[in-house]
Amino acid sequence: MSRVARLGAFIVVTLAVLAAGVFIIGGKEYLFRSTYQLKAQFDNVGGLASGADVQVGGVHSGTVHSIDLPRKPGDKVTVVMDLDKSTHEIVKQDSVASIETEGLLGNQYLAISFGTAGQADVKNGDTIQSLPPLQMGELLKKAGVILDGAQEAIQNVTQAAGNLKSVTGKVDSGQGTVGALVNDKQIYSNLDQSMTTLHATMLQAQVAVTDFQENMEALKHNILLSAFFKKRGYEDSSGLTANSIGGLPQAAPVKSFTYTAKQLFDGRDSAKLKDQKSLNAGGEFLAQNQFGYAVVVVSAGMEGDTQKDLVLTEARAMVIREYLVENFAFDDSQLKTLGMGKQAGANLDADWGSIQILVFPAGTEIPPNKPAPAVGSSTTDSSKPAQATAASTQKP
Amino acid sequence: MTTAASSATGLVNGFFEWFGNLGIFSWQVFRAAVTPPFEWRELIRQLDEVGSKSFPLVVMAGSAIGVIISLEARYSLSRFGAKSMFPATLVYSVIQVMGPIITGLVVSGRVGAGIGAELASMKVTEQIDAIEASAINPYRLLAATRILACILMLPLLTLATDACALLTGWFAQTLVEPLSFHQFIQDGFKGSTFSAFMPQTFKTAVYGLIIGLIACFQGMRTRGGAEGVGRAATNSVVLASLFLILADVVLVKFILVVFP
Repeated sequence: MSRVARLGAFIVVTLAVLAAGVFIIGGKEYLFRSTYQLKAQFDNVGGLASGADVQVGGVHSGTVHSIDLPRKPGDKVTVVMDLDKSTHEIVKQDSVASIETEGLLGNQYLAISFGTAGQADVKNGDTIQSLPPLQMGELLKKAGVILDGAQEAIQNVTQAAGNLKSVTGKVDSGQGTVGALVNDKQIYSNLDQSMTTLHATMLQAQVAVTDFQENMEALKHNILLSAFFKKRGYEDSSGLTANSIGGLPQAAPVKSFTYTAKQLFDGRDSAKLKDQKSLNAGGEFLAQNQFGYAVVVVSAGMEGDTQKDLVLTEARAMVIREYLVENFAFDDSQLKTLGMGKQAGANLDADWGSIQILVFPAGTEIPPNKPAPAVGSSTTDSSKPAQATAASTQKP
Repeated sequence: MTTAASSATGLVNGFFEWFGNLGIFSWQVFRAAVTPPFEWRELIRQLDEVGSKSFPLVVMAGSAIGVIISLEARYSLSRFGAKSMFPATLVYSVIQVMGPIITGLVVSGRVGAGIGAELASMKVTEQIDAIEASAINPYRLLAATRILACILMLPLLTLATDACALLTGWFAQTLVEPLSFHQFIQDGFKGSTFSAFMPQTFKTAVYGLIIGLIACFQGMRTRGGAEGVGRAATNSVVLASLFLILADVVLVKFILVVFP
């Protein structure tokens, strides 16, 4: 081999190596393929360097051409990237650039999401939207806060479990009421006995109450006492609101009869009827006509005690209703009462109050009955002796 | 005391004199090199001498370096669980650091010693004077051709070293853990850019200049007989290698600044 040939071979071989290197690196840098440029702006590129990969859908499709610092504060860092022409069909105006890291500590690269079909194509030099990069430091800070919270929560749970343990320990060792109940069979049998006794007592009490009611009824008709009831106008105050309704309906009455209390009743605070005859016009109307229902509305003047006046108006309404039901033939479930109590009005005081009988046409909805006043339930009463028993047996 | 002081002064003097002479020599060679007539035949002979004849040497050196880095890097990387970074590590260390500096040192040993000894023996046998007497500029014929050959051939030899080192590095890796060559190249050159590859390879032209210049200078200023020839050969290699490494410090910084 001649000297020149040997030199030529050497040069060719080494230049081939150079060419290979140039093409390998050039291929990575997209120097020999047709590309287009896009821009994206970030507040912080988190260490992304020029020459870094650009991936579209996870496929290496370009490189970061340059990263330019902003000219003035408040502007953003601009990343200029070269993208392969083949991505032009999938990268659209609504594609988003984000800076990602390969693994936890790997190289950083720019990821571009696919655009949606139908969006406008990107042009060379366009700026697309961007997402701020996820920074390890921030992530760790957030994780730290979460861990602190979790630790606190676990401490609370531990404390609660400790409290619970102490409580169950006390119950188990028979301390306190619950402990005594759980651990002492004697108490349970005592309680059981008390309940049985109580039941029997209640039955006896019921019988006694019935007897008492009968005695009271007899007493009312006793000559000595009957004058009081006669003067009052009615005997049984427990039935005052039996047919009472909560309020007047919205509908307009077809017929109304109006009276003054002075005209109908014996005295200012009496529910004893004096002039029943004047009610007959209303009674005859009810007996002869079809109607939905009728209401006896009674109100008092502004004088006197509010509670007493309310009872008085309710009583007057009941007395009128009783008179009408007894003397005229119609369905008594259609006649309701409404005691209004004290009402302001020009002539109410002088007339001792007013009375109206309002007749509503068929089809009017009857307002609900006035709720009965609450009476202390027997269960609350019966629980008292039980508690007393438990409390008394608790002390050894 | 006086002798010590005078010898120290002599050393400093000698140090600066050496640089002064090197400057004058460089200027004379440069002036001779850029003015016709050009010594084409001698240049080709020197290109062959420096380039093709060093080729087997750098191939051997490069192959050895590839295996060494492969073994070392795999061990260190697997300790950090970063074995996937192996191709990139190998490519980076070969192209950026090891390829250029190993080529420079190997060539400075072979070519520097050769040029130094050849020119020194020509000098002590008064052949250079004979050339000068026959109206041929010895700087043009002897020095410029050799220096130019070094400048031109060193980058090419570096490419050969790099290629061999990568090949044997991949080979050593694939014996332990099979890895396709294509995959190796793909991963290895992933983060590489021209700004990392080109300056590091072509900075070896500066190594070539240093090797050629110092070897020619040491050879052509030789005095004395066979002893002087030996001293010139040794000095050529030692000084060329030393200046080459010192120059690399400056070159690396320069490249980092100019090609970020």
